[in-house]
Amino acid sequence: MTETPILSTHGLTGGYGDFQALFGIDLHLMHGEVISLIGANGAGKSTFLKSVFGLLPVARDMVRYEGDAVGGTPAHRMVQRGLAMVPEGRRLFVGMSVEENMRVAIDHARVSEAEGQWTREHLFELFPILKEKRRQPIEDLSGGQQQMVAIARALLCQPKVLLCDEISLGLAPKVIREIYAVLPEISAAGTSIVLVEQDVSLAREASNRLYCMLEGRITLTGKSEDISRDDIAAAYFGATNAVA
Amino acid sequence: MQWLDAIIQGVLLGGMYAQYALGMALMFGVMRIVNIAHGDLMILLSLIAVSLAGVLPLGNLGLVVVIVPIAVAAGWTLQKFILNRVVGADPLPSLIATFGLSIALQNLMLEIWSADTRSLPNSGIASASFQIGPIYVGLLPVIVLICALVLTIGLDAVLRFSRFGRGLRAAAADTEAAAMTGVDPKRIYATATAIAVGILGLAAIFAALRATVSPSDGPAQLIYAFEAVIIGGMGSIWGAFLGAMVLGIAQAIGLRIDPGLGILFGHLVFLAVLVLRPEGIMARKR
Amino acid sequence: MTTEIKHMRVQRQTNSSRIAMTLGVLVLIALVTMPWWASSGKIRWAIELSCYIAIAQMWNLLAGYAGLVSVGQQAFIGVAGYTLFVLAQNFGVNPFIAVPLALVAPAILAVPTYFLLRRLDGPYFAIGTWVVAEAVRLATSNIDYVNAGAGLTLRVMTQYTQHQREVGFVILCAILLLVTIGGSYWLLRSRHGLALTAMRDNPVAAASQGVNVGKLRFFIFVAAAVGTGFAGAIYYMAQLRITPGAGFDPFWASMAIFIVMVGGIGAIEGAIIGALIFFFADRLFGEYGTSYLIVLGVLTLVIALFARGGVWGLLQKLGDHPWFPVRRKLIVED
Repeated sequence: MTETPILSTHGLTGGYGDFQALFGIDLHLMHGEVISLIGANGAGKSTFLKSVFGLLPVARDMVRYEGDAVGGTPAHRMVQRGLAMVPEGRRLFVGMSVEENMRVAIDHARVSEAEGQWTREHLFELFPILKEKRRQPIEDLSGGQQQMVAIARALLCQPKVLLCDEISLGLAPKVIREIYAVLPEISAAGTSIVLVEQDVSLAREASNRLYCMLEGRITLTGKSEDISRDDIAAAYFGATNAVA
Repeated sequence: MQWLDAIIQGVLLGGMYAQYALGMALMFGVMRIVNIAHGDLMILLSLIAVSLAGVLPLGNLGLVVVIVPIAVAAGWTLQKFILNRVVGADPLPSLIATFGLSIALQNLMLEIWSADTRSLPNSGIASASFQIGPIYVGLLPVIVLICALVLTIGLDAVLRFSRFGRGLRAAAADTEAAAMTGVDPKRIYATATAIAVGILGLAAIFAALRATVSPSDGPAQLIYAFEAVIIGGMGSIWGAFLGAMVLGIAQAIGLRIDPGLGILFGHLVFLAVLVLRPEGIMARKR
Repeated sequence: MTTEIKHMRVQRQTNSSRIAMTLGVLVLIALVTMPWWASSGKIRWAIELSCYIAIAQMWNLLAGYAGLVSVGQQAFIGVAGYTLFVLAQNFGVNPFIAVPLALVAPAILAVPTYFLLRRLDGPYFAIGTWVVAEAVRLATSNIDYVNAGAGLTLRVMTQYTQHQREVGFVILCAILLLVTIGGSYWLLRSRHGLALTAMRDNPVAAASQGVNVGKLRFFIFVAAAVGTGFAGAIYYMAQLRITPGAGFDPFWASMAIFIVMVGGIGAIEGAIIGALIFFFADRLFGEYGTSYLIVLGVLTLVIALFARGGVWGLLQKLGDHPWFPVRRKLIVED
């Protein structure tokens, strides 16, 4: 590797208190790439993202961003460094409107809206429905629309790395297609993406490289277009769990 | 006419209660943090004001300039070192921690200032009054009410329209998600508590001007603030103001019926609101 | 490959609990025989300590298990006390019989109080209980039938000798301890106990498993009110005098909170340890008045911040030796 990855983890271990969920994850993301992290429920994908983002305690050296050891840095400071997350379950700010949710991100972004890649206007072009509903409380929006707000909110942090945690969860296929259609544009603007997904085909189509997780470990990695379905099935469910 | 007088006195009393309630509305309504020492902090600030007034040649305005920054610093310290440790889903630790703080503060004040009641020398402002039609209205209570109104408008505006207000509401709605969006929850909570106690600093001076204060008065003020916030509707700044008005009027009417019944009447109205409209007058749409 | 399980049993008692149980029985026997071997002063101590333990147990049940933090239990202490005095003085009921009868009062007060406050969130529920207690205090101070602010005196007790009174008191205290400690223990070991522990940890999950959270909370609230009232009735009967300021004193709440938090919330052992600490600290340092109370307050604050399990929690870290084990251990023997 001649270039330093923009984000990398080194033997990342961790979990919740006494419960260890991750057993030494090695992963890297190069600038401009889209990588996906797939695995079944409980494999540890969300735990991994939270650990990278400073929401769970990890040792400093386990996470590197632009070459610096940043493990354990609190989430709000990771945002200042250039990461942003679209969290699982969207987690928008209830009681506030679409625009207010977006403005919180603008208020605390890495750089100002004027200097950054992403402006409100740009996002309204990307997601026209948001412009229409900008003053409405987010509770009134549908699941898909809320997901768009969550993505917009994350982008307005002006991130260099975007972490997406199961953005297709609970959405209708048509809506999922709409949302995934936006990813290439985000990538083209220079934002590197980590895509956590349960849906394998979505993940393969949307990413350059792929990692598969099982029970807290990486079981497979490679270029998305090169990996076979059989390899993935074995890595996803565990070859040892297959009927002999 | 007696009743009109009672209502007017009640509204003016409500102005004082509103100043106690605003800080509590901010802390519990928005941050969901309970501070049992709320009233005791105010009494402490009052007693400090009284002592300072005895030593330094500060007029009332001078006292405000000195006490409010002290209050702001106290609030910020309280949040940073005590309350930030107990913020979370479980309300018990913050309840107990501030309960212990309340007991410690009350007794510390008793040690330092003894149980004597004190007040600020007021150069007549407490007794000045003017006439509206057939009713006499005290000057100081009117000033208190106007200040309460200004503070309410200001605080509401800050929450709705400022960067800080948005960040605070976001952190209150979902602390982790706010952190993911770049908000530093601990710092923003500390600022909010600093504001809440800062308001108490102003209230402290008014309280010492209009009546006497003594170290054990804290719990009573806590209860009034709390009743005002509940009657008005949790989470609403204007609710705290209106709730304070209702409480003040209830107490004033009770007082008219029988001198021993003023405060009890307030409690009864509060309990009635709990029965009839527990979400409060200005409850947000659910 | 399977293993055959020949014999298994569920073990509930531990060595530590057997010792504790034996000691407990001995203490009760000692208590009941006190009029024959202890001085009047020590008997008064025993009565006070029993009341503290009982009130603390009830608060622990409320806050540690039902998740209801109350700062207004003094309402039940006061109404039970007053009802006792009224029954004995105004209606001529034998005061010792009047104690259980008086318990109807806290029960009756607890029902509407619970329904009034149940929709309030944790801390607001707490302050709500305080308001109710204050309202009851103010109302009592204004009612002439009970002598308003001047309070009542239990003159009928003069018909008994000192010794007779003491015998009556120690028996009542023994019953009080059995009912409150024994009752809590029985409750926690029953299936309701499992439900309570589940409710404490996660009410939503508990409800999804069929635990009727509302009903259980209501039951606990009323039971705790009655237990607290029982202690209050005994305490003021021993004092021979009750006033609104004393019977409804918010200090009862501070005391309960201190005892349970310092001793260790959520554990029967904790409430007992806390009561002992408080009782002896009070004897030793009470004369320092406000300084002593400052230390109490700061200690409560520090425990809430840094050692939420209290003294018992710290002891548990050294070794698991419960006095009142509520867990079940599966022992497989072959």
